[in-house]
Amino acid sequence: MSIRFILAAHMALLCTLLSLNTGCSNKKSAEANDPELLDNAAVTNVTDEQGNAVSGSRFEDMYKRVEGITFAPVYFAFDSYALAPSEASKIDKVAQHLKANASHVLVIEGHCDERGSNEYNLALGENRAQSVRTYMTNLGIAADRIQTRSYGSEKPAVAGSGEAVWRLNRRGEFALYQK
Amino acid sequence: MILVGAPCAHAQGSAPLIVIQKEGAKKDSVTLTFRVSGAQGRLFQQTLQRDLERSGWFKIVQGNHATVTLSGSVSDSGSGISSALHCAWGGRSFPWTRSAQGQELVRQQAHQLADEMVRLIKGEKGIAQTKIAFVNRRGSNNSDLYVCDADGFNFRQLTQDHVAVVGPRWAPNGRTLYYTSFIQGYPTILKQTLGGGRSTLAPFRGLNTGAAVSPDGSTVALILSYQGNPELYTLHLASGSLVRLTSTKTGVEASPCWSPDGQSIVYVSDVSRTPQLYTIHVASKKSTRITFRGSENVNPDWNEKGKIVYATRRSGSYQIAILDPRSGGEAAAEIIPSSDGFEHPSWAPDSRHVVCSNGSSIYILDALGDPPVRLTNIAGKWISPDWSSK
Repeated sequence: MSIRFILAAHMALLCTLLSLNTGCSNKKSAEANDPELLDNAAVTNVTDEQGNAVSGSRFEDMYKRVEGITFAPVYFAFDSYALAPSEASKIDKVAQHLKANASHVLVIEGHCDERGSNEYNLALGENRAQSVRTYMTNLGIAADRIQTRSYGSEKPAVAGSGEAVWRLNRRGEFALYQK
Repeated sequence: MILVGAPCAHAQGSAPLIVIQKEGAKKDSVTLTFRVSGAQGRLFQQTLQRDLERSGWFKIVQGNHATVTLSGSVSDSGSGISSALHCAWGGRSFPWTRSAQGQELVRQQAHQLADEMVRLIKGEKGIAQTKIAFVNRRGSNNSDLYVCDADGFNFRQLTQDHVAVVGPRWAPNGRTLYYTSFIQGYPTILKQTLGGGRSTLAPFRGLNTGAAVSPDGSTVALILSYQGNPELYTLHLASGSLVRLTSTKTGVEASPCWSPDGQSIVYVSDVSRTPQLYTIHVASKKSTRITFRGSENVNPDWNEKGKIVYATRRSGSYQIAILDPRSGGEAAAEIIPSSDGFEHPSWAPDSRHVVCSNGSSIYILDALGDPPVRLTNIAGKWISPDWSSK
């Protein structure tokens, strides 16, 4: 699948999602020379320094979410993405599930508490998800069966402030998808 | 100007910054003696007066002793205005003859005149025609993007997605916004014009965020994690060529912003364990740490005059600080007065005003010391403002 196709698919999805409120599909033909629309041309054929195409395929777009199977979240210390020893057994359970269910793949979702820069928190949440991912690949789960996504501090599990709330929001969650 | 607390070049942690106390900036007096008729004429006058006051360079006075006099007439022409004005100061002057139909064009012409007065009288860039974008957060994974004119008018909602939106940034053209959206269930960078059309810029695996367009409009700096942990990249828009700038296996990068000459990028990295500011020379990929004080230094924004504004956390809340990497750096950094509790600063194109959030409202701060001005007074959580560069 070429990157152009993938990006086009994303554009199509977006247009479908957004046509009601932004009109990105119906304006296209009528105002083909509108500088604003030219400005919006998608960037296609993204290549890295070695000239390799950069792929955008994601489990969320390719596979269906597995319903009915949930795992306990992994919790983190403030401003840290280190895995505490107490959290390891939770991840072991997820790894066992993936070993027993070859058609399942996993998205690890990283989260932060509300404090601090939300742009930095987005990166910190990604690193939290990736430390769980690294632990799982060390357990023998194939790297191509695990993807990550970070919500930073945008999607707290519990509303409010204070350490009792914050410690529940600094977390990694597990979402299974089926090939 | 009184210096409180001496700067100390080698201090760490809680060492004081220079806090500059000012009694507000010096202003030229302006008297508006022009005759006004009709509702549109009054709208022009009110808009102009507000713009001149918000520019920070002028105060409106009555009487004959003002430094600047604006005389002539603004007359009602049905649904618009016809202006014949004369602006005079210190032996210099310029004429202003225009007509406009409709409320929006009337306001626009008042903004144009205010910016022209700032340019010709003060030799500075005006901000009356600029815009400010920001985010309204309603709840968990439920935000939308908004925009208004620099004077708070023309407030409108740009997205109706009801999902998390992070870090909107204007492109240098002043009409395209880049932001991180969760509309697809994971973070992607979207690019949207004020006209409404939008597209996906980076839909790669992992994190896609932090898009900032270079001053020449050709290249986007962004944070991606498809190769591992989050790193700083540049993406050339026309060719699609992606270049990785950082390789910090134990740290993450965030919040890139270009230098005015487009040669360097300032960004946040926690490679030292706490989030601090670094600059990187794009061509050589050589990075330099530029902040060492305080537990966090985040959200940098670089202005045309070379100064970086950022949020610094010393004890408890953030304050807004300004440093010049070519002149004194962090040791000579200044805290903006009354900036306690503010975060996410973004420069106005006048390199003087800074728009910030205190976590629930958007305020305009003045690096020259005028008191903060609240931009909007709508209930809710208003965050992450970004000031357009034109």
